[in-house]
Amino acid sequence: MTQFNFNIDEAPTLWKRWKLNSERYPNKDAIVHWMAGEEPYRWTYKNLVGKAEKYSAKLKEIGVKPGDICANIIRHNPEFYPIYFGISRIGAIPAVLAFPNPRLHPDKFRQGIEGMSQRSGLDYILTERELEPLIRPLIEKPGSTIKAVYFPLEWDLSSDIDPEINDEIEKNASSIKNTDPGLLQHSSGTTGLQKPVVLSHRAIMNHVYQLGKAMKLNDKDKVVSWLPLYHDLGLIGSYHIPLACGNTLIQIDPFQWVLAPVLLLDVITKEKATVSFTPNFAYNIMAEKIDEEELAGIDLSSMRTIINAAEPIRHDSHEKFANKFKKYGFNPLALTVLYGMAETTLGVTLTEPGKPITELSVDRNELSKGVVKFPDDNSVVRICVSSGKLVEGGEARIVDENRNDIPDGLVGEVAVKSISMFDGYRNYPEKTAEVFVDGWFYSGDYGFRYKDEFFIIGRKKDIIIVAGKNIYPEDIEDALNQAEGIIPGRVIAFGEEDAEMGTEFVSVVAETKAETEEDKNKVRMSILKAGMNIDVIIHKVYLVPSRWLIKSSAGKPSRKANKERLTTETDTQVWSR
Amino acid sequence: MISPELKKVILKQLNLDDFDFNDNTIAPDVPGWDSLNHINIILAVEENFKVKFKSMELLRLKKVNDLQELLDSKLGK
Repeated sequence: MTQFNFNIDEAPTLWKRWKLNSERYPNKDAIVHWMAGEEPYRWTYKNLVGKAEKYSAKLKEIGVKPGDICANIIRHNPEFYPIYFGISRIGAIPAVLAFPNPRLHPDKFRQGIEGMSQRSGLDYILTERELEPLIRPLIEKPGSTIKAVYFPLEWDLSSDIDPEINDEIEKNASSIKNTDPGLLQHSSGTTGLQKPVVLSHRAIMNHVYQLGKAMKLNDKDKVVSWLPLYHDLGLIGSYHIPLACGNTLIQIDPFQWVLAPVLLLDVITKEKATVSFTPNFAYNIMAEKIDEEELAGIDLSSMRTIINAAEPIRHDSHEKFANKFKKYGFNPLALTVLYGMAETTLGVTLTEPGKPITELSVDRNELSKGVVKFPDDNSVVRICVSSGKLVEGGEARIVDENRNDIPDGLVGEVAVKSISMFDGYRNYPEKTAEVFVDGWFYSGDYGFRYKDEFFIIGRKKDIIIVAGKNIYPEDIEDALNQAEGIIPGRVIAFGEEDAEMGTEFVSVVAETKAETEEDKNKVRMSILKAGMNIDVIIHKVYLVPSRWLIKSSAGKPSRKANKERLTTETDTQVWSR
Repeated sequence: MISPELKKVILKQLNLDDFDFNDNTIAPDVPGWDSLNHINIILAVEENFKVKFKSMELLRLKKVNDLQELLDSKLGK
C-alpha cells in the first residue's frame, strides 16, 4: 500500500491528470458503474480515457468550443463519465444538472433551466431524448444562450478518430491553463436562486491534494458513492478526488439507493470499498430502515472512513449507525465528519480518519444565546459534534455580525479562506461582492471553535436542508403564493428537525380565510400540490387567520419569529396537520 | 387497482384523507410520497400485511399498482 502521493505539477489540469492516470494505471478500474441485479460496467482508466477522446472529437465536430458551458442532464449511465471527460478535453466546461423528477412541473423545470442559462450562460445541453420536448423551446426563445441540445447517448462512436483531429485536440488540451475554468457547479436552490460556482483547474487540483492528504487516501482505496453528481459532495468528493488520484470509484444509481439503501452496504461488501461520503440522514436510514434479513452476509470491515457532510451532523445518527453495524465488522473509528461548501471546492475542515470524533456537551439555552457553556445540573444539554480541524491550505475565522473576529467560546459566522477558493459566482458580481470580501468567503453558517476544532451548529440564512439537499424557503413561498385559499404574500416556509430521519422536514405556515375543517383541508391540499410542482415535499402545514403572522422590520412575515411562535407556543387559532 | 386495505395504509402514512389512485398512478403523483416517505410506506405495508419485501423486488416497482401486485404475490392471492 502506498501512502498519499499526489504531485500537482506533473499534471495540473483535469485532462492531463486523467491522461496521466491512464498511462500509469491502464488496466486499473477507474469507475465501476453499479446497477442492482446486473453485472457492473467496469471502466479501466485506459478505456475511459480512450472513449472520452472519441466524445471530444464528436463535441468538436458539432461546434463546441473551449470555454463553452455544456450542461449534462443524464441519468445513471456508464457513458456519462467519458462524456464528462470529453467535454473537459476540448477545454469546454462541464456542469452536471439534475434530471427532472416526474413530480416537477414542466414549466418549473423550464424556468429553472432558463434562470440557469441567464446566469451561468449555458451553451449546450447534453441530455436524453425524453427531455427534448421540454428543452427544445428554450433554444428557440429570443435571447437564449443555449445554442443546441444534443443526445450523446445516441451517437455512433464506433469508427476510429481521425489521427490528425485527435492530435489537434490533444495539442489544444495541453495548452489549457490551470487558471482556466475546469467545471461549474450550482451551489444550491431549486429555481431562480441557484448560484453558479466556477472552479478553476487549479482550485480543483489544490483541493484534490489538500483533501486527499487529510483523508489519508492511499493507492488501494476504493470510493463508493450513491450521491448524485450534481451535488458537490458527489461531484468533488466521490468523483473528482478518486479519479484524479488514480483510485477506483464505484458509483451507485442515486435513485436505486433511495429505494434500496442496503445497496451501499452490499457494494461495500462485494467490492471491499474503503471510503464513502454521505449526508447525515443516510446514517439513520441505514441503521433503522433496513430489515435484518437483508443484512445477511454484509461485511463492512473494509471501510476505513465514512464521511458525514452536507447537512448538520447529529450525534444520535452516528451512534445508531455504529451500534447497528459493529456486528457487521464496522469500525466506529471510521466515522468521520467534513464541513465544506461548493465555494471552496468542497472541504474546509475534516476530523481525522481513524480517530474518535470530539463531541462537546453544552448548555442548549446558552448556546442559543451564542455562548458555549459547559452544562451544570440545571442545564438542558445539546451534544455538538465536531467537524474537525482545518484542512491544509485553508483558514477560518469566527466573526460577529460586523465581520469582526470573536473569541473562542462564542458562536458566530464562519468565514473561510482557501487555496481552492472559487472564482466568484458566474455573472453574479453583486452576489459575489456580498459574500466574498478580501479573499474571505462569509459562509452564512454559524459555529464556534474549541481547541482548534470547528463545530457547526446552525445557519444565518434560512436554508432548509432535507436529506443533504438545500432548499430555499423563498422558492417554496413563491410557489405557494398561487395556491388556492391562502392570502397572497402571507406564507412562510421553514425547516423543522426530523429526529427520526436525522434531517429536516419542510413546514409551511399560511394565513387563510378558510374557517371550516373541510375548507382548511382543501387549503392544505392546494399547498401540498403547489410544493409538488417545484418538487418539494411539504411535510407539515400550519394555517392561521389573517394578520396572525409576525412581520419583520421590513414588513414581511418573519420566518424565525413565526417558527419560534409555532413550535414553542400553543395557540388555539393555529390549525395544523 | 389497489385494494382498499393497501390504500388505507398508504393514506395513513402520508397523512391524507383520500387520493384517487388509478392503474397508472406513480409515487410522485401522490402528495407527500417522496423517497424518504417511500421507505416508511414500504415498512408500514410490511408491518400491516405481515410480509417482507426484498430490495430487488422493490427496485422493480414502477407504479403503485406494481406494489399491489407484489403484495398479492406475497399473500398468495
